Amino acid sequence: MKLLQCPINGIRPLSEFTYGGEYRDMPNPDTCSDKEWAAYVHYRNGAPGVKKEWWYHGPSGTWFIAERDTMADKVIRTYIAGQEEAK
Amino acid sequence: MQDAVLMSPVAFAHALRKPVSGEVNGMETALSFDAADVEASRNKTLSICDVSNLNRFGVKGPQAANWLQTAGIKLPETTNSWTPQDNGSLVMRLGNTEFLLEDRPENDLTRTLNDTAVNQGGVHKVMRNDAAFIVSGELTPALFSEVCAIDLDGATLEENRLVMTVIAGVSATLLKQTLNGQSVYRIWCDGTFGPYLWKTLLGIIEEQGGGPVGFNFYYSLT
Repeated sequence: MKLLQCPINGIRPLSEFTYGGEYRDMPNPDTCSDKEWAAYVHYRNGAPGVKKEWWYHGPSGTWFIAERDTMADKVIRTYIAGQEEAK
Repeated sequence: MQDAVLMSPVAFAHALRKPVSGEVNGMETALSFDAADVEASRNKTLSICDVSNLNRFGVKGPQAANWLQTAGIKLPETTNSWTPQDNGSLVMRLGNTEFLLEDRPENDLTRTLNDTAVNQGGVHKVMRNDAAFIVSGELTPALFSEVCAIDLDGATLEENRLVMTVIAGVSATLLKQTLNGQSVYRIWCDGTFGPYLWKTLLGIIEEQGGGPVGFNFYYSLT
């Protein structure tokens, strides 16, 4: 059974979680070029490596960030968005 | 037009067993399923009781804690924990800014809060339609080992902690409390999943030699 550490609820089976996509910084839609905006909307980086990802713990309704090495499928750390310094 | 009487979200799952039903807090519920000695025997082994009819009050928002404290309510200090009030009502902290309160049948704390108008920002009432159960008995660990992926045998639920996890595929809130001198597990889930969860848990409970008990087993109505 694969396990994942929820920053609020602790270690839980992966079946309690839903993947929410890669965490990416959004360019300012008022100031960025059309090319930058199209790249943000349509492009994804599929190269393996350490990625920041959104994950959701269903029973508690907790969204958080997981830093995951997609090459090794190892989660390096998890934290609530905006609270990474505390971890 | 007649006054509507709510039915427990689990009522249809009860119906085949022909329980003695009655109205508690405006909700039709199973008061007993069998003779008192039979229910007591089940309860010793493993039993489940539907307590969806207990009054609840949900509130969330950045000012929810202040608002509850102003109303004189004692709050748990940390997320995923609970604390009893002096009158026996439960206050659960489901998040930094979210709370769920549940009364015993004789209390009216949640009714008062539900009737209180909220006139300030950052406080939002939450409609609740939970199915709620009490599970107890010697074989409770065997039941949870079949339906719950986390180990509830250790200190997971000690010191007034609560757990939000998946039980038999359903998102649920779980805690352990002492009721009438007995250690029991409390489960809350969305009401629409109630019949499924009741049937699933009851199926395992009966395999283990237990069965259902009615509301009157835990709460005497005067």
